[in-house]
Amino acid sequence: MAGMASDGTQYDPRQFDTKMNAILGEEGEETFYTNYDEVCDSFDAMELQPDLLRGIYAYGFEKPSAIQQRGIIPFCKGLDVIQQAQSGTGKTATFCSGVLQQLDISLVQCQALVLAPTRELAQQIEKVMRALGDYLGVKAQACVGGTSVREDQRVLQSGVHVVVGTPGRVFDLLRRQSLRADAIKMFVLDEADEMLSRGFKDQIYDIFQLLPSKVQVGVFSATMPPEALEITRKFMNKPVRILVKRDELTLEGIKQFYVNVDKEEWKLETLCDLYETLAITQSVIFVNTRRKVDWLTDKMRSRDHTVSATHGDMDQNTRDIIMREFRSGSSRVLITTDLLARGIDVQQVSLVINFDLPTQPENYLHRIGRSGRFGRKGVAINFMTSEDERMMADIQRFYNVVVEELPSNVADLL
Amino acid sequence: MRPILMKGHERPLTFLRYNREGDLLFSCAKDHTPTLWFADNGERLGTYRGHNGAVWCCDVSRDSSRLITGSADQTAKLWDVKSGKELFTFKFNAPTRSVDFAVGDRLAVITTDHFVDRTAAIHVKRIAEDPEEQDAESVLVLHCPDGKKRINRAVWGPLNQTIVSGGEDKVIRIWDAETGKLLKQSDEEVGHKKDITSLCKAADDSHFLTGSLDKTAKLWDMRTLTLLKTYTTVVPVNAVSLSPLLNHVVLGGGQDASAVTTTDHRAGKFEAKFYDKILQEEIGGVKGHFGPINALAFNPDGKSFSSGGEDGYVRLHHFDSDYFNIKI
Repeated sequence: MAGMASDGTQYDPRQFDTKMNAILGEEGEETFYTNYDEVCDSFDAMELQPDLLRGIYAYGFEKPSAIQQRGIIPFCKGLDVIQQAQSGTGKTATFCSGVLQQLDISLVQCQALVLAPTRELAQQIEKVMRALGDYLGVKAQACVGGTSVREDQRVLQSGVHVVVGTPGRVFDLLRRQSLRADAIKMFVLDEADEMLSRGFKDQIYDIFQLLPSKVQVGVFSATMPPEALEITRKFMNKPVRILVKRDELTLEGIKQFYVNVDKEEWKLETLCDLYETLAITQSVIFVNTRRKVDWLTDKMRSRDHTVSATHGDMDQNTRDIIMREFRSGSSRVLITTDLLARGIDVQQVSLVINFDLPTQPENYLHRIGRSGRFGRKGVAINFMTSEDERMMADIQRFYNVVVEELPSNVADLL
Repeated sequence: MRPILMKGHERPLTFLRYNREGDLLFSCAKDHTPTLWFADNGERLGTYRGHNGAVWCCDVSRDSSRLITGSADQTAKLWDVKSGKELFTFKFNAPTRSVDFAVGDRLAVITTDHFVDRTAAIHVKRIAEDPEEQDAESVLVLHCPDGKKRINRAVWGPLNQTIVSGGEDKVIRIWDAETGKLLKQSDEEVGHKKDITSLCKAADDSHFLTGSLDKTAKLWDMRTLTLLKTYTTVVPVNAVSLSPLLNHVVLGGGQDASAVTTTDHRAGKFEAKFYDKILQEEIGGVKGHFGPINALAFNPDGKSFSSGGEDGYVRLHHFDSDYFNIKI
């Protein structure tokens, strides 16, 4: 099968740990990293400007989460940062607060650039940036592919403080000088390991070349493999690092199950059997290819099951409508690719189904992290064929997680 | 009982309130838009748009014509219930937490949080019958000893003569609503050991129930502040409510929202727990939420209740006939 993990080597824990230790070095050894141990258990103690505090409290935050307690202060001090935390535990608010604290609002020029791997995620980050920065009067703009370049140019012309975008569009705007880089002093990569992977690395490098030399860099993700850390050394300056061990990354609050469907052809039947359960709250079904999204959507609809679908080949307007309908709850079951594996935060998603197991190990964590967001438990169900048994065992060992057989009363778990 | 799931909020619920007749249910959440539902079938009637921050609390006038909401956007707002029109905005320079109309709806008590150099406070505002004549003047402003501790709830006592408050400093206080003098406060020995999160009055104002992060709820006499009963559970209590019909109380909560996703999936305990008010024994629980319960309310007719969770859902439960025949 194309794209299948080559004989499990991607899930080799020993190899992962060896590489990680080589990069991080032994305790006490002089390393590339800055040590930073301060913890602030309230937003008031962080000495944030009053209008930013107003925005944080208005958003509904009351106390900082673990990553926020450690992560906001070093970023606010202008230090480069590498911050890893489990899915749904407050990373976006951490870097948004750090960016907003350091903006000079009187200077209406782009001072911070935030990059995300998908359009949906960039738009979500922009929304949080605007909400937290409302009392500061921040001007934030999402610059993503598939939308009007002319509109982006018009908004940038009138002046913005923060741009949140996808790499392709941002590079295009920089190249055309619609987005001027001279005042940019903060550069944030969300889902950084994805951004530094084969697919995006060259674009990131091209963008970085156009930024001022003293730009502050922040990289954030729930997964931070050694390959990504290695690359960060090329453009970061003694970053403060907050990392989580690979065997502590999974969310224990998400119940993980497998269903042994035995054959690929029987997955559809199994999904239809589960459909009534799927529609109780909200669910995301992940498959590995765009073609398969279309196929599965057609099959489900032909059996009178109501589903929505989205993937990268669909036009942006349609993607936006689908996403809006799903967020508001008017659609409840969404079939998609790994386009939505990362970052997407929808309040009432409580079930993730891996119709296909992911081809990249990190995406297992990201996919199941679409349920079990901050303050909510979730359930993940993995459809396993006989060919998948090896991969399922590798995932369990690698992330130190137990995946049980799906009980018959799954509806009671939701 | 099969609950009705009410979908309309895109972020965690914070508060639930029925009107006096029990045919309307108001919900507040962190998504800025308080929502109005039919309390019988859970159908959504409308939303109140105007706040720019999480909405922490609301109250509705006796005749169901006025709604008051308190929001983290540092304002409290008056609304016309029927049209959704915004009638007046009280501006405080601090997040606004709790709101409660007085009997007769001529006054409202509003609490604000500590913010930068402003201490937490309890404000009494006059409510004009004619919205055109409404002003923002405070009749009274009360302060607790530790100005940094949030006052999570303040409500009117019997005949509007007193105000009852509770919050982060674990102390329940009864204030004279005329003079602002502190009349009584809960005894440290028998009182709550951690933040008081919620408070619910009995219909006749003779007693009230408080919920706390110390994993208990306590029943107090409204006039003497004598502790009457304690209900012990195993998780922090975020919400409490009293049945108007039977001697039952209901508690809701669950582990702290920030710990939910990173601890074992069995640790949440997001059930609404029912206790016999007199015997202090647990009667049963109602499951369903997949995040902590943040809000609970009994319908004034005692035949149904609603819960709101961190998961963004309001769940409406009509009791089976079995519930009214429970023997302990």
